[in-house]
Amino acid sequence: MTECRRLIVPLCWFSLLLAATLGMGQLEGLFRVIEPGSRQVIYERADFLSLLGRHLSVVGAAAVLAILIGVGAAIAVTRPRGRDFLPLVSQLASMGQTFPPVAVLALAVPVLGFGTLPIIVALLLYGLLPIVRNTLVGILGIDPSVREAARGMGMSSGQILRQVELPLAAPVILAGIRTSVTINIATAAIGATVGASNLGDPIISGIVNGNTAYVIQGALLIGLLALSVDSLFSRLPSPIVR
Amino acid sequence: MPFDRPRYNVVLLSLSLVGLLVWLALDTVSVAPNRIVPGTSHGLAESLGWGGVLVSALPLLALAALARRPTPKSLRIALGLVVVQLATLPLWLSLAAHRLVDPGAVGARLGIGAGVWLLLFLLLMLLVELRSRLAISRLAGAALLVMPLAVLGWCLTQWLAPLALWQEYLGRRDQFLGAIFEHLALVGVAVGVSLVLGVAAALAMRRWQAAQRIGFGVLNFLQTIPSIALFGLLLAPLAWLSAHVEWLAALGVSGIGWAPALLALVGYSLLPMVRNTFVALEAVDPGVIDAARGMGMSRGQVFRQVRLPLALPVILEGVRITTVQAIGLTAVAALIGAGGLGTFIFQGLGQAAMDLVLLGALPILVLALVADALLGALTDTLRPGGAE
Repeated sequence: MTECRRLIVPLCWFSLLLAATLGMGQLEGLFRVIEPGSRQVIYERADFLSLLGRHLSVVGAAAVLAILIGVGAAIAVTRPRGRDFLPLVSQLASMGQTFPPVAVLALAVPVLGFGTLPIIVALLLYGLLPIVRNTLVGILGIDPSVREAARGMGMSSGQILRQVELPLAAPVILAGIRTSVTINIATAAIGATVGASNLGDPIISGIVNGNTAYVIQGALLIGLLALSVDSLFSRLPSPIVR
Repeated sequence: MPFDRPRYNVVLLSLSLVGLLVWLALDTVSVAPNRIVPGTSHGLAESLGWGGVLVSALPLLALAALARRPTPKSLRIALGLVVVQLATLPLWLSLAAHRLVDPGAVGARLGIGAGVWLLLFLLLMLLVELRSRLAISRLAGAALLVMPLAVLGWCLTQWLAPLALWQEYLGRRDQFLGAIFEHLALVGVAVGVSLVLGVAAALAMRRWQAAQRIGFGVLNFLQTIPSIALFGLLLAPLAWLSAHVEWLAALGVSGIGWAPALLALVGYSLLPMVRNTFVALEAVDPGVIDAARGMGMSRGQVFRQVRLPLALPVILEGVRITTVQAIGLTAVAALIGAGGLGTFIFQGLGQAAMDLVLLGALPILVLALVADALLGALTDTLRPGGAE
């Protein structure tokens, strides 16, 4: 019961998002007030549902890869065997935070060409850093005596990782994933400038044609999407039972 | 702890071997007869000749050999080798230009290949790694880059005229300097304004609980709007304002240009600024404040002489985060005609001219890194008990 109640707020946001996506056409009167001069006030080059779907799939693909690679890399460099790489990886993770997403995106295009692939790669690279950093902070922040105690109980290294280190570090890792995904939902919109079609499309098209209604439609949906995902993360069950 | 591990430095070994691999296997340069035609790629042997291949691979092999016995002395030699290898990259490019580009062909362009970019990246990683192993200060680390940059500058004026990136720069020399200036001006003004507003807001929030909740609510909400959309959303209201309020129009405020860009930048900058200032002021140890009060300091004195100096490093951390973020966001502002380096990125994307994209993106990257390093060093200096 409490599990269900926990999900009420994210569900509200998601249903609002879905309603806005499907019912954008119904709001024509409202947008007509905002943009009285334009012939068309609802973005119609693609329907919002498929734009939302593409936006979600790009961010989702990048997030899954970033989580796999980021958490994997952070685990690898905190094992005895990979420990030599720890200073380098943690320095890279903090330096990489300074790379502007637009620059990363712009640098991915010459290598990978236009379309969806450079966006996924840029979002992946950009989303990797908070995840790596937070996983490192989470695992390294565990009191060494806890690890000692687990070893003293006869746990193997793998067991310690799965049953002690990861559960203890999980809140910090989740916070990193949350930052990464929320930033990427907004950054993906810039992808519309390099030919990926997603919720950034109406915004770009609105800026180019001077049609504020388009911009609002894109921004509204991206904002709702970000809020939905963020509220979902904030209510994920905490894996630690204290 | 270091005794139960193998003696050799795994990081040095693997980075230098991967570097060797990408240098030998991937394309070194591409040559195009003009700006429009896509270039033909050339591998290392074609670009440098077999002698060049051998000589250019030697430092990497030496690095791998040095990794076997990582004494401080050999690590220092390795650092020297990395710097030398960095400095020779422009020379190898010059050699490739000399061998592959017909001197008579006007407008022929030399593109930098994946091998060179990746080796550059790996060498910079090696630099970071060796710098932290040898505990070399930030400043000395930056000084190591002076020699490679000097060589690059000299090669550019002497032999690297066909380099595509350089040609894009030469074609837009005045524009480029103007764009850097615009970029920095937008970032500077946005950070300055948000610093003043942010400190004021943080002070107000400390005073009134309600302001705290509402303030953070509004600022958090602002962050969920994608930057590109916020720029777009400000177009219409500002256009309306400039059409109806004369003195604003006289100031140059309009729907496109610097005005909406600046507003959006300030909006985004406020959250990190307010959050850090607020946290910094709150986090000062109450015992210290009590002690200061006990010494007979007035409220104002406590704030100016105790609380503010103690909070300063964290506030500066906020300035650092904000500045780096603003440098990136200003690139997006080019979409609404605010100028800056983003102009080149979007022009380049529009014309499918990738070297033009690089001309915009690389300086932005460098600016962000430099701003980060400078403000980080400043924060370290101001930290109580830090280096004076």
